[in-house]
Amino acid sequence: MIVRLAAVVVAALALAGPAAGCANPRTSLAYLEGQIMCPTCHTTLDQSDAQAARRIEAHIRVRIAQCWTADRIESELVQNFGAGILAAPPHKGFDLLAWWLPLGGILAAAALLALGVWRWSRSREDAAPPDGPSLDDETEQRLDELLARLD
Amino acid sequence: MRAAKVTGQVVALAAVAGLLGLLVWRLTHQSHPPKIGGPAPGFTLRRIGSPGKLDLASLRGKPVVLNFWASWCVPCKGEAKMLERAWRQYRRQGVVFLGIDYHDVTSDARTFLSHHGVTYPTVQDGSGAVADRYGVSAVPETYFVDRRGRLVGAHIVGTVVDQADAFRRGVEAALSS
Repeated sequence: MIVRLAAVVVAALALAGPAAGCANPRTSLAYLEGQIMCPTCHTTLDQSDAQAARRIEAHIRVRIAQCWTADRIESELVQNFGAGILAAPPHKGFDLLAWWLPLGGILAAAALLALGVWRWSRSREDAAPPDGPSLDDETEQRLDELLARLD
Repeated sequence: MRAAKVTGQVVALAAVAGLLGLLVWRLTHQSHPPKIGGPAPGFTLRRIGSPGKLDLASLRGKPVVLNFWASWCVPCKGEAKMLERAWRQYRRQGVVFLGIDYHDVTSDARTFLSHHGVTYPTVQDGSGAVADRYGVSAVPETYFVDRRGRLVGAHIVGTVVDQADAFRRGVEAALSS
C-alpha cells in the first residue's frame, strides 16, 4: 500500500514538475495543430495523417515539454520549413497585406454598394411624377365654366 | 457625374487587368519537371551536419547523384546503406553524392544520417522549393547530373535498391558524358 502511494506521489511530481517549471503558460499541441500545415499534404496537422505531419507533431510535443512558447515553436518551424508551414500569414511586415487587403476589399465593395444604392434612390426621386396632372389654360378655363354652370 | 462614371470604369478595367496579370504570372511560373539532357535546376541550400550552404553550381565539373529523401520516409531508410556503399565505391572516380532532405525536421534528419551512417554531403530543402523544381512527387527520388550540369539518364522514382540496374546506368551516364 505504501509502495503504491509512493509511486502515485512520484508520478504526480514527475508530471507536475515540468509544468510548474515553465515560466510562461504552456501551449498545447491541439492549438498548434490548427496553426501548422502538413508540408506534404497542405492541410493543417490536425487533419493530416501523413508521416511528415506525425513527425512534426512529435517535434512540437518535445518543444512543449521543454516549455517553448507557441511563438517560439512556430518561429523554429518557419526557419526549418519556410513561411508556408503556417496556416495563416504572420501579422507583421509584408504579410500584413494578406490580412488588410481582404478587409480593404470588403470595405471598398460596401462603399461602392452604398454609393450605388444612394444614386439609384436619387434617380427614382428625380423621375417621380409631380403630385397631380397639370391642366393647360384653355382646359382650366372650360372646367371653371362648367363648374360655374353647375352652381 | 460623368467623371465618377469614367473613374468607375477605369477602376473596373484596372481590376480586370490585375486579375489577368495574376493569371498570366501563375501560368508562366508553374514548375515543369526538368528534361533529361537539359540543365539541372540550380540551388543553394543549407548543409546538414556541417556549417554553411552548398551551391550545386560549385560541383560543376563533377558527376553528381542527387538523392531526395526524408527521415519520415520509410523506403528512404531501406536505401540509405546502399547509397552510402555506392558513394564509397564511386567517389574514387570523382562522383559526388548529394542528399537533399525534403520537408523534414532538422534534428530528425541529423538522427537519420547518424543512425544510417551516411557520410556524403546533405543539404536541407525544408520548404520543398527545390524538390518542386525537379518535379519530385514523393521521396525517395534520385537524379543524375553530368560534369556540365545537365540531367542525364532516367531519374529513379522509388528506392535505388529496387532499381539497382537503373541506378548503375544513371551513375555511368553521369560519368561518361
